[in-house]
This record gives sequence, structure tokens and C-alpha cells, in this order.
Amino acid sequence: MKPRYALIVVWLVAGAVLLAGCVGPARTTGRYVGKATRTANDAISALQTAALAVHTSERGRMLSPYLNVVLTQAESDFNSVQQTFDSIQPPDTREADAIRDRLDKILTDGSDVLGQLRILARRGDQVKMVAQARSIPELVDKLDRFVTEVSG
Amino acid sequence: MKNLFAITLGILTAIGGFVDIGDLVTNGLVGARFGLSLVWATLVGLIGICLYAEMSGRVAAVSGRATFDLVRERLGPRAGLANLVASFLVTGLTFTAEIGGIALSLELASSVNYLLWVPLAALLLWFTLWRVKFTALENGSGLLGLALVVFGVALWQLHPDFGSLAHQVVHPHKPAGEGTLTYFYYAIALFGAAMTPYEVFFFSSGGVEEHWSRKDLFTARLNVFVGFPLGAALSICIAAVAALVLKPASISVDNLGQVALPVAVALGKLGLAVAILGFVAATFGAALETGLSCGYSVAQYFGWQWGKFVRPREAARFHLVVLLSLILATGVVLTTIDPVTVTEYSVVFSAIALPLTYFPILVISNDRDYMGDHVNGRLTNALSSVFLVIIVVAAVAAIPLMLLTKAGQ
Repeated sequence: MKPRYALIVVWLVAGAVLLAGCVGPARTTGRYVGKATRTANDAISALQTAALAVHTSERGRMLSPYLNVVLTQAESDFNSVQQTFDSIQPPDTREADAIRDRLDKILTDGSDVLGQLRILARRGDQVKMVAQARSIPELVDKLDRFVTEVSG
Repeated sequence: MKNLFAITLGILTAIGGFVDIGDLVTNGLVGARFGLSLVWATLVGLIGICLYAEMSGRVAAVSGRATFDLVRERLGPRAGLANLVASFLVTGLTFTAEIGGIALSLELASSVNYLLWVPLAALLLWFTLWRVKFTALENGSGLLGLALVVFGVALWQLHPDFGSLAHQVVHPHKPAGEGTLTYFYYAIALFGAAMTPYEVFFFSSGGVEEHWSRKDLFTARLNVFVGFPLGAALSICIAAVAALVLKPASISVDNLGQVALPVAVALGKLGLAVAILGFVAATFGAALETGLSCGYSVAQYFGWQWGKFVRPREAARFHLVVLLSLILATGVVLTTIDPVTVTEYSVVFSAIALPLTYFPILVISNDRDYMGDHVNGRLTNALSSVFLVIIVVAAVAAIPLMLLTKAGQ
């Protein structure tokens, strides 16, 4: 392969990697709904990770440094998902605005819960942590309903 | 008795050394998203890596020369250089992912941020690569990597319906809600995770380091045909426990911590501790292998003295390449780039770069000038040719699939 062609291949591969990681604007409500449902599913994943970790810890099956890391990462993943969604420019429709407001409210509540769980885990307050995690199933239900209603 | 010990040790090392950060993350991720419907991709990758490693091990044992030395001689300096650059970049990317993996594993054990572990991990790697003998380095990391057997124990303790799991393997289908392109993107990722080029550079260069000859072919084949399948079984166990625990809870794997969660659910604190030990050992062992592979490939291409069978001062340029690769990879991890993302890309790029080294090894292993009577048999040639087609198709499809699926999103 000539060096010029090899260079073109390298640039193409680098471009592909960069493009694969891009977050673009949603030009139609349909596309915005797609991004919102994906956000909701990612948020469910982070919330369920935290719920499973706390439940396993309640059964005395978790090492405390590991629990701290799992909860910190769940919060970090959740916040990253929320920030990515908030950075998407929604189309100029009432439906898109309603979707944004509804999802953002649930995401803010979820972020608060995960933040509290991280703080309680680091303090080693198992009782309060378990109590706090009881609100996760309700948030997951809200997100599930959101996905069903907006994509249906 | 001594021979039996050597064979057992080789097989155990091959099992423990098979799984690395790419296998951990990709199998956890795929198990949580697709259940066991993509096990076929791991099995295809397993057959491929067995063929590839057997051929390159045989070439090393018969000719006494390692992969890149022969690639340059057979393909010529220019094509050989293009080959070297692509392989070095992919191995370097994998090296970066492994260093990130060590730091992430230590974070799981300590809850100290992984970035603080990166310099320490790099220092320990450099010391091991510089001072520790090849055999101790290979056997130590491989045997500690056996701690990942805990995923098999966790699978058993979860009391799954093995019939249902087997059905998912034998009758694979794309889960509802997942796109066809995404399904095949992850098939390529699993294929790349199982068939990583550095494993073969390390295996064949290791053969030269250990002065393999024709009489060692039997042991080498046992390592490949027994050790690698058992290592792949560990990978499948990782996917299976993720399918049983994480998938029903709609958890998608975004970080290494989630991969160990099913073990904690099944086995509690002790199992979790063993799993984390396995993570550290598997990533540390793979980092040693990828670091050495960076040095092997460059030194072999340029004809420099290489290897750990000579004193460092006698292979100064080889050790310099290893050190510079380590510094570069450590620097990349310290940019705070997500090591799991690096891992996800590294397995796909492994699939893309595979034909570059697979093809020359296939040619050389058929060349009587190098191999004498030990050229490929008909069955090996038929299988290897089929795999060449599979490897080329996977390599060509990988980048379009990466773009179309936004890297599997």
C-alpha cells in the first residue's frame, strides 16, 4: 500500500470513530422521541444497577469499596445520560417540549436518588441507603411508562 | 512426570491468559443485551484463534523465527511496514485498554479513583517487563487469571435452566428491540475479542523465547486446542451470568463494575473478591503480553535483537520500544478517556487488522522452504481458507457497521 493511501485509510478510520461518538440535533419529533427513549432506557439501566447493588449489599453480599464504586459509577453514568439528553436541540414543536419537560423531571429525581445513595454508601449507612433505594422501582416504572407512551 | 507438569501448566496458563479486558467487557455487555444469542460469534472466534495460533506456533517451532520477522521476509519491506504499523496501532490500543483495565480493577478493590492507580500500574508493569523472567511472567499471570473460574461457579450457583441457555446458544435470534446491524456489530466485537492479534504475536514469540523445536509441537498444540477452548468457556460464563442477572433487570454494561455484579449476587463477598482478583490478574497478564507484543513486532520487523531470553542490555532497542509504548499508553489513559470505550473500540479494530497478519502466516505455513514436512494438512488448509474469508468479511464490515450503529448504540 502506498503511503498516501495508507494515510487516507488512517484518516477515514479516525473520522469513523469520531462520527460514531457524535450527538447531533434532532430535526424531527420522531427522531427526538427516539433519542428520548434511548435516554430513558440508559437511565433505567443506571437506576437498576444501583438498586441491585443496594439489594445485594442488604443481603450482606457486597464488599464496601466495590459498592461505593458501583454506586458512584451508576450516578456518573446517569448524569452523563441526562447531560447528553439536555444538550440535544429539540425540534420546535409542543410535543417535543412536553417530552423534554416530562423526561427531565424524572431524570432530575433519579439523579437526586443516586447522589443520596452514593453519599450514604460512603458513610456506611446501610439502613438509610436501603430506605432511599426503595424509591428506585417507582422511578423505573415512570421511565418504563414514558417509553411505552411516547414510542407507542 | 515433569512433562505432564509442563503440559498442565501450559494448559492452565492458556486458560487464564485467554480472557482479557476485551473479553470481560464485551462478554458482559453482550450477555446483558443479547443473552446467549451471540455465543456463536465467540465460538467462531475460538476456532479462528486456535487455527491461527497453531499455525504461528508451528511456524515458530519449525523455523525458529517469529511472526514479523517472517512477514517482512515474505511480503517485502513496504507491505511488511504497512502491516507492522496497523498491527502495532491495534496492539497499542489494546495495551492502553489493558492498563485502564488494571486501574479500573484496582479501583473496584479499593474505591480509590482509577486515575490514581494508573501510574502505579504502569510502574509495576515496567518493572515486571524489565526484571521478571519470561516463564515466571507467563505462568504467574496465567495462573492468577484462573481466578475467573469464579464466573463458572457463579453460573452454577445461580441455578439456571441450562436447557433454556442451551436453546439460546443453538437457536440464536436477535432480541426484540435490537437492530440487525447492531446484532452483527456486536458479533464482530465478540469475534475480535476472541481473536486478538497480540495473543498470536505473544504465543509465537513466546515459542521462540522458550526455544521450541519440532518436539515441542505436541505441547504447543495441547495448549491451543485444550487451553483456548476452556478459556473461551470462561468468556461464555461471563456472558451467561450477565444474561441471567443483568438482562432481566434491563441493565446494560457500561463499566467493569457491572460485570462483577452477578458474581456478588450469586456468591457474596468471597466470590466477589476472587472475581476482582481475576480482573486484576487477567488485565495485568494481558498488559504484559500486549506490551511485549509491541516490542516483539517492531524489533522483529527491523531485525533487532529481541526477547527476554537475553539480558536487557543485549536487547536495548526492544526494551526501549516496550518502554515507549508503555509511556504512550499510560499517557492516553491519563487523558481521562474512558478505558471501557477504548476497550470497545480495540476489539473491533482487532477484527479489522486481523487479515494483515493472518494471511502471511497462512502463506508461510504452506511454504515447504520454511516448514519442510510440517506444512498445513488438507483439513487445516480448508478450514484456514474458510476463516480467511470470514476474517476479511468481518474486517470489511466492521467500520460501516460502526458508523451505521454509532458504535453499537
